[in-house]
Amino acid sequence: MTDGATLEGWVPEIGPGLSLAEVVDKAFDYRGNVTVVRTDGLETEGYLFNRNADAPEPFVQLFDLAGGGPHTITYREIRTIRFTGRDTAAGNSYAAWLRAKEAAKVANRSEKGSGSTPSSGV
Amino acid sequence: MSVPVSQMWAVASYVIRQKLAGRKRYPLVLMLEPLFRCNLACAGCGKIQYPAQILRKHLTVEQCLAAVDECGAPVVSIPGGEPLMYPDIGRLATELIARRKYVYLCTNAILLKEKLEAGLFTPSKYFSFSVHLDGLQEEHDEAVCRDGVYVQAVEGIKEALRRGFRVTTNSTLFDGANALRVREFFDEVMNLGVEGMMISPGYSYAKAPDQEHFLRAQRAHDLFSQILANPKRRWRFNQSPLFLQFLMGKQEFECTPWGNPTFNVFGWQRPCYLLQEGYAATFKELLETTRWENYGKRSGNEKCRDCMVHCGYEPTAVNHTFGSWRGFRDTVAATVTGRF
Repeated sequence: MTDGATLEGWVPEIGPGLSLAEVVDKAFDYRGNVTVVRTDGLETEGYLFNRNADAPEPFVQLFDLAGGGPHTITYREIRTIRFTGRDTAAGNSYAAWLRAKEAAKVANRSEKGSGSTPSSGV
Repeated sequence: MSVPVSQMWAVASYVIRQKLAGRKRYPLVLMLEPLFRCNLACAGCGKIQYPAQILRKHLTVEQCLAAVDECGAPVVSIPGGEPLMYPDIGRLATELIARRKYVYLCTNAILLKEKLEAGLFTPSKYFSFSVHLDGLQEEHDEAVCRDGVYVQAVEGIKEALRRGFRVTTNSTLFDGANALRVREFFDEVMNLGVEGMMISPGYSYAKAPDQEHFLRAQRAHDLFSQILANPKRRWRFNQSPLFLQFLMGKQEFECTPWGNPTFNVFGWQRPCYLLQEGYAATFKELLETTRWENYGKRSGNEKCRDCMVHCGYEPTAVNHTFGSWRGFRDTVAATVTGRF
């Protein structure tokens, strides 16, 4: 996952160009909390860890923000899903590590450089 | 080969029983992930990117044991997350040993010395520490994105060996690995006195921070051929020689995704340890309702195209050993000669 590829903050409009099943798949693939908005207006926020579109009654499953659950919600109860939580797979820890290593090398080189300067004897 | 005879016999007799019973799909190694929490954030890992409430969750020992009983595999591997951060790890290990399961506790070993000194574990032929080491000090610390971890891991290994534990190492190789350095690393690991080494190419987790250094199939064959072409007699591998031949491109295998099923806080993971395409509530449901034809190289699934990881192909190698005279002959030959 690279910076800029995240769905964090996305509020999808389900309609002719975007099906609920597509949004569910993206929510399932998303490594942050989401808010499932039901057709009756109730909202459940949590981590959507499972979905089964092949079941006789397709459903999603979440653990809520307190870790409680799993809560099972059928597709037909869902109006939309908002991508409200931080995307934990976004950002780039590897790039940050490489930057830190490079900075350390540069610092090390400049230290050695200053240390190797022959004394002027002053 | 470094796998003890009793363990080889347990696995062999289990496989033969499955074949005699006519079972088409059976597990060999249960991948039991009691938690996702970890004290490292490695560049190639796609296992730990979750919100806080998920990282705080862990399975109970009872849930773990129920999964072990339901699955029935003779070997249980405990990865994670970092299993030494699991609060009941000592009790879980004791219970699994009492069930005569061969247990591999996969750890980065940062906490190993501390947990050994706390007396959490007792040496047993059923129990091994499988310590994550991705190379010599420079390569390993870079792979785990933290300086000093190699030194801690080596200290942990020495302490475990001193106390009479079985210890193996588990190494993932990425693109850019230097074959000569890897061979030096094997020498170093064997100098430590471990029972054996496990090696595998990395898998390109979609959620892993580093997407640029995963090995593609041909490159992997080339690298493992360079590393293993003239293996030293003193190198011991805690895995099937046919799997090592597969890594070198000398065996054509198809993936066995149900061979190493995964159980974690979400349930039974579909279809394998690496891909997360959903969860089943029971192991039976996993076996019966997963669309297995959608996975493996022949399926054409993009996610499986370059995968050569041991969780999918080691079960194939073991099945090949006990499924044909040729497989058995090749295994015996590699074991006796020490050549792949």
